[in-house]
Amino acid sequence: MTVQVFKAIIISIVITLHLRERGFFLIKLHDVSKSFGRFQAIKSVSLTIDKGEIHGIIGASGAGKSTLLRLMNLLEIPDDGEVEINGQNLTNLSSKDLRQERKSIGMIFQHFNLVANKTVYENVAVSLQLASFPRKERKSRVMTCLEFVGLETFCGKYPAQLSGGEKQRVAIARALANSPRVLLCDEPTSSLDPNTTAEILGVLEDVNKKLGVTIVIVSHEMEVIKGICNRVTVLANGEIYDTVLIEPSRIQMMDNSPRYFVEQLTEGRVIADA
Amino acid sequence: MPEILIQYEAEILSSIGETFIMVGVSILAAILLGLPVGTFLFLLRKGQVLENRFAFSALNLLVNIIRSFPFLLLVVFLIPFTRFVIGTAIGTAAATVPLAIIAIAHYSRLVEQALLDVPKGVMEAAISMGASVKEIIVKFLYVEARSGLVLGLTTSIISFISYSTIMGVVGGGGIGDFAIRYGYQQFKTDLMIYMIIIMVILVQLIQFTGTTVSRLIDKR
Ligand SMILES: Nc1ncnc2c1ncn2[C@@H]1O[C@H](COP(=O)(O)OP(=O)(O)OP(=O)(O)O)[C@@H](O)[C@H]1O
Ligand SMILES: [Mg+2]
Repeated sequence: MTVQVFKAIIISIVITLHLRERGFFLIKLHDVSKSFGRFQAIKSVSLTIDKGEIHGIIGASGAGKSTLLRLMNLLEIPDDGEVEINGQNLTNLSSKDLRQERKSIGMIFQHFNLVANKTVYENVAVSLQLASFPRKERKSRVMTCLEFVGLETFCGKYPAQLSGGEKQRVAIARALANSPRVLLCDEPTSSLDPNTTAEILGVLEDVNKKLGVTIVIVSHEMEVIKGICNRVTVLANGEIYDTVLIEPSRIQMMDNSPRYFVEQLTEGRVIADA
Repeated sequence: MPEILIQYEAEILSSIGETFIMVGVSILAAILLGLPVGTFLFLLRKGQVLENRFAFSALNLLVNIIRSFPFLLLVVFLIPFTRFVIGTAIGTAAATVPLAIIAIAHYSRLVEQALLDVPKGVMEAAISMGASVKEIIVKFLYVEARSGLVLGLTTSIISFISYSTIMGVVGGGGIGDFAIRYGYQQFKTDLMIYMIIIMVILVQLIQFTGTTVSRLIDKR
């Protein structure tokens, strides 16, 4: 009797620990390496990303930030090591299963990568088509996603008719369409001006807070990383230099008035009106 | 209408018909086979989803070989093959065989070029969204490259017309053959000039249509 109770307790502890472990992290890289020819871009990196966090990856140009991010959805196939997302080891999946997994991993890019010959609506709808989302519910799903990024009135426009910030919003809507667990962002604001950067970071924060999507964001801009990340990995020469916990300090919108620009340029000292 | 055109009306109409058959078959071959061949030329390249150095080199070489034949020699060289496929090496039907083969090689190169213009990022986005190779081709590549594909086809069609003019050597007929046999060889220079005018109008029409369509579908 006591032995059985003891056994039951042990088993439940083991199960709880196991579940907690599985429930705690979303992405786990284990000793991952990647070389291009002889050049080793990522050197045996291990990294876990927790469920619900906004994780930053920062480092100098060429440090391997993009490569590290692209390893997370196997856009780069690791030479060595394992990539696990949501308890699923991606490294030994068949290509069909990998494609299936990728549908629940969103990704956005510096240059947006929208299909220029598809309208805003079609750009979002295509990700639903790929996932065989029920046809009848597609329209309302697309609209929900576009409303989330504030572009519900832009359905019929083409990317060429949008500003950079609007394009990135469409890309975010497209990435969200299949309710991903994680959103991978490669320099999502690097071709945007400071105000638009703040806007997009606001949208990403909403994605994280309201939809509970885990975010990994690569950037070389310190304000971006400080602006929204909870935890930051500093990458140098393909290796993790350090990982730091931070308190995100929402970045300030810049004053857009011409007077502000002049003041900033002259630091308040007007020398002469040229 | 000039009298000489009325006099040769039946021959002219049938030669226009032969040209349409020869060019029509070339267009079909270009779309049905040249498009897939060109797509493979693109997808088998280094860094693309079907990367395969050996298959790419083989296909690339084949297309180059076909394209480097002087067309008249290709026609002659293919005679046994044509006879095998059509049963004879003479006539309009037989003429469509070498035309179809050069059409496939010609258009596949232009398809490859048009696909190379698709931004790498778009392919990357497609892959990150879990698209299969077929979905990448149909839902991304062809959508993004469509105006280039149309412009390429326009250029190809105009070349097909030009290729078809020498099919007289195997009894293929057509406007070009008519212009040479009646206009040039029988010294009816005015007849030859009228035939050239027909060709010019045809080419203008095709180019105008192609340019307009490609502009209308280009939203980039
Ligand atoms: N496909 C590739 N082929 C060859 N070398 C590559 C490839 N991709 C990346 N590299 C190399 O790997 C290194 C890391 O590249 P990566 O793009 O990850 O850097 P990054 O930190 O994102 O830099 P940036 O801030 O400039 O985007 C670089 O030296 C780059 O030249
Ligand atoms: Mg990068």
